[in-house]
Amino acid sequence: MGDFWFEFVEITQTIGDGLLFGATYALIGIGFTLIFGAMGKLNMTYAAASLAGAYVGLAAFTLVNASALVVFLVSALASGLVGFIVYVACFRFIPIDNHLAALMASIGALFFIDEIIVHATDGSPLTFPAMFDDVMLELGSYGIRGDLLFVFAVCIAGTFGLLYVLYRSRLGLATRAVSQQDVAARLCGIDVHRTNAVTFVLAGLLGGIAGSMTAAAVGVLSPLITVPLTIKGLIVTVIGGLGSIPGAIAAGLLVGGLENVFLYFRGVNERDMYVLLLLFVFLIFRPHGIFGSAIDRD
Amino acid sequence: MLELRGLSKHFGGVKALDGLDLTVDEGDIFGLIGPNGSGKSTTINLICGVYGETAGTVHFRGNLMNGKPPHTRLRAGIARTFQNIRLFPNLTVWQNLWVAQNSSQDVSAHGFLPRWFGATRRTRKEIARLLELADLGHKGDELASNLAFGEQRRLEFARAAAARPKLLLLDEPAAGMSRQEIDNLGRRIRRMRDSGVTILLVEHVMELVMGVTEQIAVLNFGYKIAFGTPGEVQRDKAVQEAYLGTSASKSRPVDGSA
Amino acid sequence: MSYYLGLVQLIGIHTLLGLSAYVLMLTGQLSLGQAGFFAIGAYSAGILTVIFELPILPALLAAAAIASFFAFLVGFPALRVKGLMLVVATIAFSEFVRLFFFNLSWRVPRGDIEVGPDSTNGFREIRFFVANGWSAWEITAFVWIFVILVMAALWWTDRSRAGAVLRAVGEDELAAQSVGINLTAVKVTAMTAGGFIAGIGGALYAHTATYVDHLTFTVLLATFAIAYPILGGLSSVFGTLVAVIFIQGVLVEGLRFLGDWRNIVFGLLIIAAMNLKPSGLFDARTAQVLKRAVGLGGKD
Repeated sequence: MGDFWFEFVEITQTIGDGLLFGATYALIGIGFTLIFGAMGKLNMTYAAASLAGAYVGLAAFTLVNASALVVFLVSALASGLVGFIVYVACFRFIPIDNHLAALMASIGALFFIDEIIVHATDGSPLTFPAMFDDVMLELGSYGIRGDLLFVFAVCIAGTFGLLYVLYRSRLGLATRAVSQQDVAARLCGIDVHRTNAVTFVLAGLLGGIAGSMTAAAVGVLSPLITVPLTIKGLIVTVIGGLGSIPGAIAAGLLVGGLENVFLYFRGVNERDMYVLLLLFVFLIFRPHGIFGSAIDRD
Repeated sequence: MLELRGLSKHFGGVKALDGLDLTVDEGDIFGLIGPNGSGKSTTINLICGVYGETAGTVHFRGNLMNGKPPHTRLRAGIARTFQNIRLFPNLTVWQNLWVAQNSSQDVSAHGFLPRWFGATRRTRKEIARLLELADLGHKGDELASNLAFGEQRRLEFARAAAARPKLLLLDEPAAGMSRQEIDNLGRRIRRMRDSGVTILLVEHVMELVMGVTEQIAVLNFGYKIAFGTPGEVQRDKAVQEAYLGTSASKSRPVDGSA
Repeated sequence: MSYYLGLVQLIGIHTLLGLSAYVLMLTGQLSLGQAGFFAIGAYSAGILTVIFELPILPALLAAAAIASFFAFLVGFPALRVKGLMLVVATIAFSEFVRLFFFNLSWRVPRGDIEVGPDSTNGFREIRFFVANGWSAWEITAFVWIFVILVMAALWWTDRSRAGAVLRAVGEDELAAQSVGINLTAVKVTAMTAGGFIAGIGGALYAHTATYVDHLTFTVLLATFAIAYPILGGLSSVFGTLVAVIFIQGVLVEGLRFLGDWRNIVFGLLIIAAMNLKPSGLFDARTAQVLKRAVGLGGKD
């Protein structure tokens, strides 16, 4: 009985940690989904751009010994800027109906950013500042890591900030109009290119938060996580249903929680295999995602 | 030949088609008209299997077609054209017709290898004949996207004919055509029927519909509101209200129809 | 000399990889999973020659068959998703395969050593060519026999009705269905053929390199696979070959002085090419103009 109880606490604890960390996946998923919603395209550079932002933030930390909060802020801003550059380089001038070209260009940008990071850091992991990493909240048999709770809270705040911009501001109105009716929005005098650029910057800001929070939760930033984070972000986007923000949030938390379960039972080497299997399960049984409300756009 | 019973298609809460009953007899040129959004194109898409029906049945030559994919229905003898022309733009005119050699005779008469990897003399002759009929004899090597609008329409018509269908569904074939092209189209449709093909014509251009069809069904809001000969339909009060309005009196048969 | 022969072998192998994506792209399917089929071919062939001690030819054919079987299986669920969803699904498949081999340990004793895949340490000692005394020339010829066979088969297919049907599906699925083409059959066949070709490439790669590990088969390799036909255009198999020679021969070798910075140039090149020529460097129109210019515009 005692063993069983102990194991139960262990598993629920690890699921809880996963859910908290899953908020970063949710953010990355929202970013992918936001851009997909606006342009009907996948921005493969997105996760890499988010981590690039975190690296800029880290540079601020190393160079001027900025405080953790400033680091997070700089990360978000830098990632927003990278988002804008990626938009111009990979989407702005490629015909809107040519999905293949935009996809390829953004993959090119993914490798470009990845390689820059590898060269700038010699490929080795760097320590990333965290907040509240020495705090541990006690809840009966459970402990909640302060840094994870902080990461979770920031991600939730970021999500609400985004939703506020999308649903309460004129800018967000234009963004949503373009994502729903491109041509009609154009006829109403909305500048589609500007709106798309704004979407990329918004997604970038969010990605910078996600990137720096990922690094803060793990404690290090490493070029090794670029491609895995891209793939996990894509998985979250698809499981959540392409274009669905609530779906991306639910899927992010789901992937975060389940991945720790896989970690607990199967170890770190096999963990990601099961996350990928989870995607196939969804593709076969729920190809339109958790809430099944995704629009069929391809 | 074609029997629709209680055919319905709902998109979410929208009833694009609601309980349509329709019988098209062999050898007919059957017109299906109605205002925009009345369910005409939906009917075509249901008959050839692009959409799955919400309720009802489609029988073709006595066989239940429900659940069969488009390519199976084509081999059973149902071919179509599209409202907005859908050719294979980066294939040549010749290839567009080559790809379409999928009638049940083609499938059964040739072996696997000749069908997919050879071009038998019979196939070449057949494609040359189709090109000739479509007045595209000299354009065989042209990319389909390089054709003029009228030529693209003719090519699509020829591509549908390539399957040697028993029933041909024409989805607004006269859209965007000049008077003269419409007259030509009328002649093509009649020639097609005379070669033994039943025609279901969905059309807005009243000159064409009133000129070539023998039976007309009128749809509005997903329901059939009238049925009869062109003359009867034109005199029908409900139809005039719903759709034809004053334009009915202006329409006249296409040239060469008498 | 053997260094350049190695490069010629690599160009042949990457041509196979590119052609495996080419077949799929004709039907309008974009797969970032070709690295996965390549990996299955590489590991299967290696296991067959090293652990089961089969000769190279049956091992290679069996490996290609195994890869095509998995491609066939992936083909069905992949049919339910289109376009960008297919891209995600195939990346996920490829990553799954990579992680599977990352975890695969299958060691058998041979004399006083152990051979076989050794999870994170990779799969070493795939020494069929060395053990049987093949010269570099013979290996190169062996690789290119397969390249030429595959290219000939695809070239011939392309000029036949089957090729036109593949392209028709790629241009407009709805119209293709409506003229009687069985979409499922065509797409799954293309997927299976692509898996087979990638499998051959992988098998050849494992034996020429004598060592593979999971890091060989990343998304970067999958990106190369689709970059070749995109840059070379979909009008002919030769475009893919030219693109491979250009990227692997001219760019990678020519930029050797840049050292590790080459991948950055690769990334920039893709971005630039897609902005300047979004539908590939050789699209159908360009190809037809070229064909007319040299008087090759045949009846079919």
